[in-house]
Amino acid sequence: MPAPAAAYERIVYRNPSEHHYMKVRLEFQDHGIGLNAAQFKQLLISALKDLFGEVDAALPLDILTYEEKTLSAILRICSSGLVKLWSSLTLLGSYKGKKCAFRVIQVSPFLLALSGNSRELVLN
Amino acid sequence: MDSGPYYLVKDLPLHELIAHEFISTFVKKGACYALTYNTNIDEDNTVALLPNGKLILSLDKDTYEETGLQGRPSQYSGRKTMKFIVSIDLMDLSSKLDSKKYKRVSWAFKEKKPLKFDFLLAWHQTGAEGSTMMSYFSNYRIQERQPKIALSTVTDLPCPVLRSGELRGEPEAACSAQELFEWLGAVFSNAELNNEPDNFISTYCCPQPSTVVAKAYLCTITGFILPEKIHLLLEQLCRYFDEPKLAPWVTLSVQGFADSPVSWRENEHGFRKGGEHLYNFVVFSNRDYWLQLAVGANDDCPP
Repeated sequence: MPAPAAAYERIVYRNPSEHHYMKVRLEFQDHGIGLNAAQFKQLLISALKDLFGEVDAALPLDILTYEEKTLSAILRICSSGLVKLWSSLTLLGSYKGKKCAFRVIQVSPFLLALSGNSRELVLN
Repeated sequence: MDSGPYYLVKDLPLHELIAHEFISTFVKKGACYALTYNTNIDEDNTVALLPNGKLILSLDKDTYEETGLQGRPSQYSGRKTMKFIVSIDLMDLSSKLDSKKYKRVSWAFKEKKPLKFDFLLAWHQTGAEGSTMMSYFSNYRIQERQPKIALSTVTDLPCPVLRSGELRGEPEAACSAQELFEWLGAVFSNAELNNEPDNFISTYCCPQPSTVVAKAYLCTITGFILPEKIHLLLEQLCRYFDEPKLAPWVTLSVQGFADSPVSWRENEHGFRKGGEHLYNFVVFSNRDYWLQLAVGANDDCPP
């Protein structure tokens, strides 16, 4: 029996991602300050609340990965909330009285793109 | 599998890449690739050499005006043009060495505005053994590098159920290609895949329907990798299903350099927020495959 003809289908999506992903790192001016995942999430929520209020503090935000040692995380936010989250992170200046800043390392609508960063390729 | 060496040359003057000897030794005898190392496409001057012999320069306004070469404004400039793209066809140039064009380009790179960059170079040679990159650039600081390979195994991994004929998925039966794409990212980022919907930290979980796979192998290769090597890798992955296997599918994802001036073919590539351009093959046990191509906002639709 002859093999069935090969089928071909092409679908093009424009702006399909419901979520955007951010790789961020929290840096403190003084060292030795640790946060666990729940405290980190609480910090993000309070940053959103300070700038945008209660409603946007309830934006669906997930911390997909969190590394306590380096205070770095991969966040997932609904695409409509990306600008709000990013601006809240930019304007966050302190945690419990200690000066700190968020560094945004990578942003993408595709989580797979965050698994590699060509800007971090270091060849000495 | 040998993923091939690539080379890092420091402070290489740009005129070396338009030298007749370079073109006849490397560009014409195989596929030669070059990309400036540690230059940001949205801020700095960036240069790339494509295997078809085109030298692409992405220059800021001042450098462009100083070189005096003919180019066009970047597609992603906005109201004020800050970046210009110059494309030089090396195959065409080398065929007429005393042409006005070659003399002008040579003068631009040697005298008018000598540019120097750190370059990543790779060469897939077709034909007899000839000169090597190491010996050709021995006057400069050149290092040979091997791509870094990282292997890991994951146990009890929840995997989405897929059906090769259903790209959009089917409710209760198979996941969509987009859900797979997100799941792949979660696996390679080591995200937790089993969160409850009321979890405070994260609510992400593996798309349903899913099965738990006892053992999964993950391999990451980092470096300036030739497309020819990726092709070989893909062929080997397809041969995985020559014998019956429990696994229903395997995937191969490839990410382009965020600071490359081109994405697919000679389409201009911009950084915007992330500079992502990547593709992902899903090869099924019945030899069907999916190919997913993703680009950022400052990119043309992939071919």
